[in-house]
Amino acid sequence: MFNRDFWSEIFMALRRNKLRTVLTGFAISWGIFMLIILLSAGNGLKNGVTSNFADRIKNTYTIWSSSTELPYKGHKAGRFIMLTNKDIQLLESLYQVEEVSPTVSKGGTLIFGEKSRTIGLDGVKPIFKSIEGIKILEGRFINENDMKNKTKVVVIDVDSNDELLRTTGETTLIGKTVFINGLSFTVVGVCKAQMWGERGLAYAPYTTLQALYNENEYYQITFTTKGLNTKEENEAFAKELRKKIAALHEFSPEDKRGVWIDSEMVNSLETLRIFNTINIFIWVIGIAMLISGVVGVSNIMRITVKERTNEIGIRKALGAKPRSILLSIVMESLVITTIFGYIGMICGIGVTEVISSIMESSGGLGDGNGMSVFVDPTVDMSIVLMATLVLIVSGVAAGFAPAWNSVKVKPIEAMNYR
Amino acid sequence: MIKLENINKTYFGAQPLHVLKGINLNVEEGELVSIMGASGSGKSTLLNIIGILDNYDEGNYYLAGKLVKNLSENQAAEFRNKLIGFIFQSFNLIPFKTALENVALPLFYQGVNRKKRNMMAMEYLERFGLKDWADHYPNELSGGQKQRVSIARALVTSPKLILADEPTGALDSKTSAEVMQILREVNATGITMVIVTHERGIANLTKKIVHLKDGIIESIEENDPDKMDFTKEIK
Repeated sequence: MFNRDFWSEIFMALRRNKLRTVLTGFAISWGIFMLIILLSAGNGLKNGVTSNFADRIKNTYTIWSSSTELPYKGHKAGRFIMLTNKDIQLLESLYQVEEVSPTVSKGGTLIFGEKSRTIGLDGVKPIFKSIEGIKILEGRFINENDMKNKTKVVVIDVDSNDELLRTTGETTLIGKTVFINGLSFTVVGVCKAQMWGERGLAYAPYTTLQALYNENEYYQITFTTKGLNTKEENEAFAKELRKKIAALHEFSPEDKRGVWIDSEMVNSLETLRIFNTINIFIWVIGIAMLISGVVGVSNIMRITVKERTNEIGIRKALGAKPRSILLSIVMESLVITTIFGYIGMICGIGVTEVISSIMESSGGLGDGNGMSVFVDPTVDMSIVLMATLVLIVSGVAAGFAPAWNSVKVKPIEAMNYR
Repeated sequence: MIKLENINKTYFGAQPLHVLKGINLNVEEGELVSIMGASGSGKSTLLNIIGILDNYDEGNYYLAGKLVKNLSENQAAEFRNKLIGFIFQSFNLIPFKTALENVALPLFYQGVNRKKRNMMAMEYLERFGLKDWADHYPNELSGGQKQRVSIARALVTSPKLILADEPTGALDSKTSAEVMQILREVNATGITMVIVTHERGIANLTKKIVHLKDGIIESIEENDPDKMDFTKEIK
């Protein structure tokens, strides 16, 4: 059936109406082209945003201190709740909690030579790196040895590093001694800058800062959990935790504030959900666009079939079976959609690859504070396969109705059609 | 070869039209039969039914001993392809195919390969003196040439039955005589032939003339075409 003659018949039919074929095909090419561009843009956005969180482990929580909103048991609203060692003990007593990492936060000034910079100094545990997804650009992060020995080491952000070295001609502070609030620290690592704010960052071992400042109130406690895998489990846990902390600090369990409890897993699930929605939206737009192309092809096939009514009648009289007529028309439509669809697809992929490589060489599109919003805007193989499937389905759909009509008509009526 | 029993056919339109009102007809193998009648007498409808290009409402039609009734499109296509060759008044050649491709087309639907198909088609074109015109398109051929191409196309599958609907209707008298001569020669090889015409001169060249009037066979006339003088114009 699908031999050389079959195909030559189809391509002859397409060649006879070159302009018409090209114009019809263009709609399909355009539809697929735009679908690919849109999907790539969606992917780029998703890759960009998720790359900011990619290094974070997901089963983590952060609790921030905050002001209450409701009066409770004689306490007025607006009371500021500081997190304390009791909270740490509470968390450590919960079986879902794996490792607790409180943060000792100190404001201060970072000084190196003549230069200085305002920074936030955080005393943290090594796990903090994975919890917050801190990217080390050079050197290392705080480790267990630092914790044990309470060494005076510090990891600073790249902006502070560059700022303090601006006129010295050197590139890195690693190994150098810097002063923070008058105390000397050795720089062991440089990390990516925070995504917001002008302030510099410095991370020192938790134990070191505890020894220096003897801090027992915290603005922030982070911890990892185990066995909480779904959004529902996490929400139930967060609710239970809020109740316990509220009891500890005597604020209303109904209070939405007092402390902030933030689940990284819920956040990332929410983020993913947003991108899935965007993706669905893009497919809907893309398919809708493609439908106009398919309607165009279907229309042209109608006209083609009308024009060829006589010929089809003759073929039937000469012994053409309905299947061969049906197949030849459907295949003609399929050939138009797939050939022009692939032209559109290749153009679309070409454009996105070019944009992607330009972006890569220019360092990506960011918001200027080290946060990328658009990374690798390309589509992968599964989308190409999906689009191929869409093309085949739409090609057959476009050709089938006209083909079926021409099959149904009696040969004598077709031959006498004027 | 052909056996028609009480064939009835009605066209259901705004005004139902009873075109064939009980046709009974036998055509033996090798016969040369013409069907005559005024326009609207139902002669073309009858030919279309014989050619399985149209269906009938009542009665029985046997072709080569087989009942042709309520056939699927596939079966009908196979019958037409293997048993019947068609010759039409307006030739019905496919305009964007060469004479050779047109003649080879029925073989394509038989699944004959390209090489063999073109060889056979060329053989038939040669037989009708069209070898040099094989690569020409229908619009580059004269009426007589076109009809010879369509005769070649009708014969290329070696059918048992040739059906010709006004084969000379679009031709001048000289060409008509040539075409009729060819058809008579084809019939002489043993192929059954049914010709629909409204011209007495054409009918006179057949051995049996069926007169159709208002959907009924009025009379069947035996005729001896050899008495006719071919040197005279037939119109």
